[in-house]
Amino acid sequence: MKNGDYVPPRQSALGQFFDSMFLLALVFAALFAPLYLGLASGGKTELEVADKTTWSGLGQNAVMQAGWEKLGYTPETAAPLIISRFDYSFDQLALGVTALVVIGYFVLVVAFSKTEYREVIAERFGRRDR
Amino acid sequence: MPDISTLNNYQLIEYGAWGLSLLLGLWMLFDTLKTNMTYSEDLLTSSREGEIDDALVIDPPHQGGHR
Amino acid sequence: MTQTTTIHGEKISLLRVLGPGHVWALGVGIVLVGEYMGWNFSVGKGGAMAALIACWVAGLLYTCVAMIDSEVTSTVAAAGGQYAQAKHIVGPLMAFNVGLFLVFAYTMLEAANAITLGYLIQTVGGMMGMTDAAGEALVLHDKPFIVLTIMFLAWLNYRGVYATLTFNLVITAIAFLAIIILFFAVKPWTTEVLQHEELLTGLPYGWIGVIAALHFGLWYYLGIEGTCQAAEEVRSPARLLPLGTMTGIMTLLIAATMTWFICAGLMPWEYLGQAVTPLFDAARLMDSMPLMVLLFIGTIFSTLASANGCINDASRAWFSMARDRYLPQWFGAVHPKYRTPYRAIVFLVPVAVLFAYYAPLDQVITFSILSGLLGYTFMTFNVVMFRRKWPLGSIDRGYVHPMHPLPALVLLLLCSATYFAVFLGYGTQLMAMMLFFIIASLWFHFHRYRYVRRGDQFSMPWPRPQGDY
Repeated sequence: MKNGDYVPPRQSALGQFFDSMFLLALVFAALFAPLYLGLASGGKTELEVADKTTWSGLGQNAVMQAGWEKLGYTPETAAPLIISRFDYSFDQLALGVTALVVIGYFVLVVAFSKTEYREVIAERFGRRDR
Repeated sequence: MPDISTLNNYQLIEYGAWGLSLLLGLWMLFDTLKTNMTYSEDLLTSSREGEIDDALVIDPPHQGGHR
Repeated sequence: MTQTTTIHGEKISLLRVLGPGHVWALGVGIVLVGEYMGWNFSVGKGGAMAALIACWVAGLLYTCVAMIDSEVTSTVAAAGGQYAQAKHIVGPLMAFNVGLFLVFAYTMLEAANAITLGYLIQTVGGMMGMTDAAGEALVLHDKPFIVLTIMFLAWLNYRGVYATLTFNLVITAIAFLAIIILFFAVKPWTTEVLQHEELLTGLPYGWIGVIAALHFGLWYYLGIEGTCQAAEEVRSPARLLPLGTMTGIMTLLIAATMTWFICAGLMPWEYLGQAVTPLFDAARLMDSMPLMVLLFIGTIFSTLASANGCINDASRAWFSMARDRYLPQWFGAVHPKYRTPYRAIVFLVPVAVLFAYYAPLDQVITFSILSGLLGYTFMTFNVVMFRRKWPLGSIDRGYVHPMHPLPALVLLLLCSATYFAVFLGYGTQLMAMMLFFIIASLWFHFHRYRYVRRGDQFSMPWPRPQGDY
């Protein structure tokens, strides 16, 4: 190691433990928060069908009907699967905000990385006179 | 995998799975603790990125290794 | 950098023992499960035709990923793969984030595998029709098997990489063969079994469904980039990693198309779009006991192979970060006897178990896909910076990808489309994930980074980067 290099402090065992726990807590918060707040499932709508109790009413042809029956379904049990549709209508504003957050995140990370990277290169290859 | 058709008690299989999980978990925990106490921390964390180039190449069938 | 050799007793490192088959098995082994489950949610998001388009578009995305990744990896010989790339090319904070992407993507995928395996055992338990003394149907619960899967594979990983990945090679090959056998069993040259004409219904959601389907379309291939996670343990990484990755992506393109062809010709898309084990269902529809047993084994093996590779990759990423003190250095330890990052392996076990135990499958898969997607986005600017800082000829490259920067641009375009696809239906998760990474980044930059040695992070024997960095 050369003179002038950054010498990091040694982290205590307690500090290491605390940092691990912090990250863990953050991970669980990020992944379980949407689930617990009930925000997780995307919007669903229902398709209008002629008759929910017959295969033809559900718009299924003979081949489809045979498939459903082999898989153990009746028109009644298959109906919820057949008429359920995702709702792809979305809020322009929400899309804009999301896009900004994703782009902003990458800009932030690259910008911070750049300042840190300069220091790494300076230590590794020596400082350059400008 | 146990042959499911020959066993008639699913709970038995479930308890078996729980027990085996516990056993494997305890084994790892015990070995981790033992290793932590047997070797010095400096040795255990002595690995460095990229330092193994042209180092020991080990032939798995003969665990001795050669240069 | 000081030059030290690895001498038993004084210093310990990971073992350099893996051959080309292992690299293929690590890559394909992680991903092949994507054909056995998960991909079909893309049918639910856009219909069967949309899923096929998504499959091929995602194939193009991953071809770009594999090309870019192979070039950079063929020069970076370190465990941690993309993590080490980010550290040398973009900078420490980016590397910290990439490391977290990897740990997330693989740990979530591992949880998804355990859930599927548990579900399948529960299904088969139900199909056995066991009853108790009172005549009530017995239920075989999935939870014990979910936990056992994770525990067993963690244990295997703990005991050494060579046995682990040899095990993977065998079970991956069997799972791949099962798909091929099923493909020939449905006689794809006739319409006896497969009835695409009757079952394909066009695009139920129109073209927006095709974009939405891209979300789960990634699942056909997610994790193939894991091959370079093993860089430090491969015998000649510069040659073997590109080879293993490229053959892996070809295997998957073939398997993915076959899988779609079989399933779309056998069952109504509304069922397929929500099935947990579509290939096993396809075998059920064939009325053949041997095929059912084969696909049961295939599904079990593919989930095991995948979870196994995931534990391998996630723990190595965690280990690499700890070695640089991005994470507490305690995790940067190698087991003196088994030569594995044992503390990282043990630490990640409860995380995987908790998610597999409590979270629903599509959520877990979405988190895995999102982490992967963030990683692919990183690759686009990573490769541009790599070519700028070290132009061709300035360092030895085992492989040079063609038509730069076209693959990077295509990749960026496809990534943007996929963010939009995830936004459709899973916008909240996307935001939660981004918030997590922003908070973690601030924490790293302002707190954690003070424990990191600056110059030591640059461990490659490369010259000083060119230009303004």
